[in-house]
Amino acid sequence: MRLGFVAYKNMVSKPLNMVLSLMLLVLSVSLVTFVLQLSTQLNGQMDKNIAPIDMVVGAKGSPLQLVLSSVLHIDAPTGNIKLKEANQIIKHPFVGAAIPVSYGDNYQGYRILGTEPAYFERYAVRLQQGRIFQNSFEIVAGSSVARKLGLKIGDKVTSSHGLAAAGGSAHDDHPFTIVGIAKTSGMVVDQLLVCNLASIWDAHSHDEEDHNEIEHGEHKSDEKHHESDDHDHSAEEHDHESDHHDHVHDAEEHHHDHDNEEHHKEYDEEKEITSLLVKFKSPLGLVQLPRFINENTNMQAALPGFEIQRLMGLLGSGVKTLNGIAVAILLVSGFSIFISLLKTIRERRQELALLRTYGLGTSKLLYLVTLEGLFLAFIGFILGWFLGRLALLLVSNYIEEGYGYILQIHGPNVSELLLLAITLVIAIIAVFLASTSIFKLNISKTLSNE
Amino acid sequence: MLSTQGIHFQYPEGDSFHFPDITLKDKEHLVILGPSGAGKTTLLHLLSGLLPVTKGSIKIHDTEISSLGRQELDRFRATQIGLIFQRYHFIKSLNLEENLALRQYYPGKQVDKKRRAAIIERLGLQPHLKKKVTQLSQGQQQRLSIALGLIHQPKVVFADEPTSNLDDDNCKKVLELLKEEAELSSSSLVIITHDQRVKTYFKNQIVL
Repeated sequence: MRLGFVAYKNMVSKPLNMVLSLMLLVLSVSLVTFVLQLSTQLNGQMDKNIAPIDMVVGAKGSPLQLVLSSVLHIDAPTGNIKLKEANQIIKHPFVGAAIPVSYGDNYQGYRILGTEPAYFERYAVRLQQGRIFQNSFEIVAGSSVARKLGLKIGDKVTSSHGLAAAGGSAHDDHPFTIVGIAKTSGMVVDQLLVCNLASIWDAHSHDEEDHNEIEHGEHKSDEKHHESDDHDHSAEEHDHESDHHDHVHDAEEHHHDHDNEEHHKEYDEEKEITSLLVKFKSPLGLVQLPRFINENTNMQAALPGFEIQRLMGLLGSGVKTLNGIAVAILLVSGFSIFISLLKTIRERRQELALLRTYGLGTSKLLYLVTLEGLFLAFIGFILGWFLGRLALLLVSNYIEEGYGYILQIHGPNVSELLLLAITLVIAIIAVFLASTSIFKLNISKTLSNE
Repeated sequence: MLSTQGIHFQYPEGDSFHFPDITLKDKEHLVILGPSGAGKTTLLHLLSGLLPVTKGSIKIHDTEISSLGRQELDRFRATQIGLIFQRYHFIKSLNLEENLALRQYYPGKQVDKKRRAAIIERLGLQPHLKKKVTQLSQGQQQRLSIALGLIHQPKVVFADEPTSNLDDDNCKKVLELLKEEAELSSSSLVIITHDQRVKTYFKNQIVL
């Protein structure tokens, strides 16, 4: 019979008392671990996502919004910029990589991003299946989207206008074909459907066509055949339609919008993109370009690193406040453990005196009570830790749906082990404060009194 | 085995007691009779080292217990002394068997499971091993209390009013059980009581 067993029995023999004295500890531990995990993981996620991009050039507005929308894909865009103007930036000698992006449509809530294949290179994301998009209306699906929606190579999807799943008119006439599925990167790419720029433009120009046929009269003669198809369009005919596109592409190469690199320049003057993602070639770019763009063009330049740091600065004070509250609760929980131990020691005075007659010394009794305190703290910590992780899991689902980030459920990390140590130290202090009466225990009197 | 000389005890609150000298040989039995307020429980606590004597000497097995240090006294109590209390004291969170096992436990000492099984068997506690002590009947608690006083084979076992609140039949049974178990454990038995019925069962008597 070990004293540890006695301590354990003492503790579980009054489960309600135990729960009561543990509640605060569980609450504070879960709060601290949850907040720490959430903030480090979000920080890490954001850093990972913005690392490949030094500067975003987009329409004037809030720079934070521009970064959030174009890099992290969690906000609406600030507006569009002319490809012509963007091209001037691309040509600038300080600019290394420059990737135009355009978006505004979604498929079941997942953003469809028009860009260039270089986007994948920039983020070092490879395909697990299929190939990169080459023609219009070909899509490479991010791994999460593909998994969530069960998309396979060859599937057809129809975009809807806007960035949210609900509302917005559907571009029924232009189904996209999945040609590739990207590998999981842990970045926002996982949550995107990526196609070329022309697809976005086409989807919208046809849209306009449908709605404003008269204004686009001159196009009509060229695309008469096309349009008559479009009107009676139904889901089953998708295959027919893409065949048709290929056919047109071959026959009327001189005119068709369905891009190809060499046709790019053709619509440079009129086409718009949402923003331009820039990686500098030289650090001088960072010094000169943002100011140049902001002062001399209709566009604005935003630095993701700076903007996210600013955002985290704001969130950071929230995190600090929450941690402060959690630490306060932790101290109160230490006090509640103290009270609960004090109470059990008083209630069990006779049992402790009995143990003394069994020959257990004062130090053994102290050891017994310490074990109980440590058990309490340890169980409280474990429960709190699991509760924190559970909360993280729940929030993770929510965040993944809303923002496309996946929070990972890790085992305990160093700071959490530190928290465990702090919890145990608090418990030991509580034990020593509560157990002074053990030293003064009068065995004879305690045993003979009621 | 047990010998006392001129024991005097003074409570801080004022009560003071002088006790007659006691001499007891190995495995002998003794009844100490006294009316209420004669200091019976005080004497028992003095003899078992729970209270320090103010004056006088108590020797158990050639050990002067007033000369023992705190830790030595703890060890002495753990191994040499058995106590059977008037009001039963158990560890409430443990079941019957665990209470007995705890009494046997002493650091560095092998727990004698055979002895535990035997004493449980003899006292008819077998069916109640896993019961919480609070669920035991009065009689079962009494027998557990006796088992706890003797399971570790002490040199001497002190029983405080073991027969109060018992009818004649049960008084006899309990005293026989005590004698029997004390003999089986080769322990001396000291009963302290005001119960005059006990007299008839024991030759050695001291009246306070």
